[in-house]
Amino acid sequence: MRETAIEIKNLVINYRNLNRMSIHQSIMNPNAARRADVVQALKGVSFEVEKGEILGIIGRNGSGKSTMLKAIAGIFQPDEGSIDTKGKQVSLMSIGVGFKPEITGRENIMTSGMLLGFSPEYAKSKMEEIIEFSELGEFIDRPVRTYSSGMYSKLTFAITAVLETEIMLVDEVLSVGDEHFRKKSFNKMKDLILDNDRTVIIVSHAMDTLRELCTRILWLHDGEIKMIGETDEVLDAYQQFMSV
Amino acid sequence: MMRRFWGDIKRYAYFCVYSAKSDLKAEVANSYLNWIWWVLEPLLNMLVYYFVFGNLMGSDQEYYIIFIYSALLMWNFFNRCIIYSVKAVRMNREIVTKVYVPKFILLLSNMILNGIKLLISLGILAVLIIAFRVPFTVKMLYVIPIYLIVFIFTFGCGMVFMHFGVFIDDLAYALGILLNMLFFMSGIFYNVETTLASPLGYILARINPMAALINNMRGALIYGITPDFILMFIWLDIGLILSIVGVRIIYKYENSYVKVV
Repeated sequence: MRETAIEIKNLVINYRNLNRMSIHQSIMNPNAARRADVVQALKGVSFEVEKGEILGIIGRNGSGKSTMLKAIAGIFQPDEGSIDTKGKQVSLMSIGVGFKPEITGRENIMTSGMLLGFSPEYAKSKMEEIIEFSELGEFIDRPVRTYSSGMYSKLTFAITAVLETEIMLVDEVLSVGDEHFRKKSFNKMKDLILDNDRTVIIVSHAMDTLRELCTRILWLHDGEIKMIGETDEVLDAYQQFMSV
Repeated sequence: MMRRFWGDIKRYAYFCVYSAKSDLKAEVANSYLNWIWWVLEPLLNMLVYYFVFGNLMGSDQEYYIIFIYSALLMWNFFNRCIIYSVKAVRMNREIVTKVYVPKFILLLSNMILNGIKLLISLGILAVLIIAFRVPFTVKMLYVIPIYLIVFIFTFGCGMVFMHFGVFIDDLAYALGILLNMLFFMSGIFYNVETTLASPLGYILARINPMAALINNMRGALIYGITPDFILMFIWLDIGLILSIVGVRIIYKYENSYVKVV
């Protein structure tokens, strides 16, 4: 019997459009929070992902794909329903782990590792590998705020790629850095994704990549599951739908 | 909830300390005088107050330098942590929007950072105490539990401000004014209880937490006065209640912060 890695039941996520307010507003208008219009990003989605599976998620912009990834990563609390990742380590790949701009790259590797749930010893042991992969050289000991955007994303990628989590969420298969790094990171990513023990969810608009990598596809439409099933079947239906 | 709280503390303890240390390092990396600033800042401030209130206005308080300096250290710790708490989530938006971290950990990490600065300054205070020959008494040890109360009370207040700071944009301004007012009412450079006319002084020294804590800490440290246990106990309880309520609020709402910042 196959082991379930992620179990999502009736997931509902709302965005409240209240945002911030001033003290004046909050006193004069205490019900603003309640009256604000609520946008439902996900309307009761349920599915399971088995261990080792590579699930692709497609859908139009604003259909709730990224919201779902963030919820699985634990950044959002579901408003209803539940997400069970069976206590496994989850990392959200594309945006990586947040860096503290004032501290050095090396220190950020440590903090990121710990935030992803690894022990400091483990993070330390992977340090050299990460630094080497990121190709940052001496910049690793400078504050992250001095990095160029390319260096920033290289480090992000290196951290999430080298510190391997059991569940990997990928928001758009990455293409970071220059041509050389792009190839290298794509290959590394492919290795990670195709590893049989790793459970992967990929959100992407790149049909070819999805067709190549995924074992199953979930099609989200307006916060609901439109279709879930075999890769080719769903992708064909989706492409037909989108071309109309 | 308590179980989850302790679990999170244990899980993120190393992160807390590590991030406090690296923040501290980053803070001084760009300045010439490095960590000397942590000592210099309260020391110079103390001299300003000493000059203005000790010399110009004439205070007959015994050991006036230590009187100001010891209070200033406690106040600075509280003040910095609270100011940080209001913008804590927004300042860490890089992290908060990308990975889950219990939000109180952000505040706790900053409290550790300020705690380290405090410890260094307390070292200077010890030197001053010896230099000015303040008589040593066993009662000086009361300073430790009083600082513990300060820590808990600060954490509790910080949690609450942290939550509202996320949603209310201009809370930081209002808080700045409030803290400024509190500063003058806490008797950093004068004794609230004896300087202000009664009953105002008597009341203020009790209902203003920082005045109460500073007053009792200073009494024990410099003048060998036993702290007012009941009063300290009350403020400990209030601190604990605030902490519990604060952690509860944070746990309940923390994941919606991402949608706002």
